[in-house]
Amino acid sequence: MNSANFANSLQTWIGIGPLWIWAIVSALAVLFLLALPFGGFATYVERKIAADMQDRVGPNRVGPYGILQFIADAFKMLGKEDFIPLGCDKFLFNLAPVLVVMGACAAFAALPLSKYLIGADVNIGILFILSVTTLIAPGILLGSWSSANKWSLLGGLRAAAQIVSYEIPVALSILPVILISGSLQIGRMVELQGWSWTAEGLKQFHFWNAFHNPFTFISMILLFIGGLAETNRIPFDLPEAESELVSGFNTEFSGMRFGLYALAEFADVFVMCAIVTALYLGGWQIPFLNLDELWVTLPTFLIALIQLTVFLAKTFTLVFVVMWLRWTLPRLRVDQLMGLCWKGLVPIALFNVLGTAAWMWIFKGQSIAQLLYKLVSG
Amino acid sequence: MSNGLKLVLFAAQLLTVASAILVALHPNVLYASVSLLFAFLGVAVMFVYAGADFIAGAQVIVYVGGVTILILFAIMLTQWLYKMNLKDVPAKLGIPVVIVGVGLIPALYKVMRELAAFVEKNPAPDLEKFANLPKTGVIGQALLSNYVLPFEAITILLLGALVGAVWLARPR
Repeated sequence: MNSANFANSLQTWIGIGPLWIWAIVSALAVLFLLALPFGGFATYVERKIAADMQDRVGPNRVGPYGILQFIADAFKMLGKEDFIPLGCDKFLFNLAPVLVVMGACAAFAALPLSKYLIGADVNIGILFILSVTTLIAPGILLGSWSSANKWSLLGGLRAAAQIVSYEIPVALSILPVILISGSLQIGRMVELQGWSWTAEGLKQFHFWNAFHNPFTFISMILLFIGGLAETNRIPFDLPEAESELVSGFNTEFSGMRFGLYALAEFADVFVMCAIVTALYLGGWQIPFLNLDELWVTLPTFLIALIQLTVFLAKTFTLVFVVMWLRWTLPRLRVDQLMGLCWKGLVPIALFNVLGTAAWMWIFKGQSIAQLLYKLVSG
Repeated sequence: MSNGLKLVLFAAQLLTVASAILVALHPNVLYASVSLLFAFLGVAVMFVYAGADFIAGAQVIVYVGGVTILILFAIMLTQWLYKMNLKDVPAKLGIPVVIVGVGLIPALYKVMRELAAFVEKNPAPDLEKFANLPKTGVIGQALLSNYVLPFEAITILLLGALVGAVWLARPR
């Protein structure tokens, strides 16, 4: 598969201008059409879901159903005084939110929104996402230290310890998918979870990786739990822990700097859910249907649009689960957090990797769906 | 390579060298480690330009996500470290530092010479053609065929380090 690329297709479509200009344009497009609107809108959705679960009304003043609340919030934050508390380390205080936003937004470049809509389908796709999101940890740590506040520092240290520890089960639960698809390229991983009907019947299909074999199903759940911890969401929100640490690592941040932290958190949640979707829930694939092989030939932009809708529907379902958990589960203690990671998730994840490898060896890489199909069709 | 790509490469090189100089010269050890982070990022970009994208990703995960975090952790948890200045280092340490520094120059010179000769013999690949070649798979196959013994030796070393860390941190 050729590696698809926003900038290349924009250049061939419009026909003029050097490639690097289109690269910048597409980067800005990903940022302003996807990352920022989602980050803003998610704050509204979270408040509305919280309100529903607690039998309240929630934001309902700005626009119909208060849907424009997040825009009003953005203007409020931009209009606030640019305030740096006394005793802060000014340079690091300014740098920290930027690092966090950089890490969260850079990951959007490699998310496979559809077969034809992917910022850059790089060779090392999933490794790229894992590596750029590691920028978030130093950002949080530096921000917390530079605020010259004990609660902030405690929150930051907790965040760093948590993110570094949970990176291991997350990486280990991604490994089974790499074993199955034999590639780090996310586009390829999603492609393999699809369907292809030919005259002699089904040619190639895996169904979603979550149902490839029993181990990958457990892996998906582990990846989701690890992702929750990496994005500091409840029940793993120890770095913020309102009842113990005021607001944790972002206590001293106000105005747009706080806004950037909030934005990065929601962007990170989206990236985490998108990874689970792309790796285990088939990405933009629709079950039993291959849009490229219909009885009518659809125009490319329509296919891209349908696939985008499917991908976003799956991802937003997971985002809803994340928000749902926030109002359901209590927060873990620090020792429980580390115990869960090292005594629970890591051994199970290792077991899953071994199990998937064994399955691939015994059944020659076939999924449960393929084996069943063979059994039925004889 | 197009001019835009060259510009990005130049920016990355500038970032790496400037932050590396800051690491060596900045009096505050915390700032030095933050600029170390940027030096690592710049090196990762250069790996991409050399066509080694897997190594670039691994570089960011291991050095930015692991090593830098560890250094920052150590500095923030030890109170005297982040208040320390390079000027506080006692003067009698100066002589060994100078000896080591001067002693390193011939070694560095030799490394640079050999690198230059290597680069002259193997010119950089055309990035646009090189970008889509399957390199990651080749690395994996090499690690599990030709280099399987060193690979396993390293895993035993890492296991030893892990056990040692647990032994050091055990409750007494």
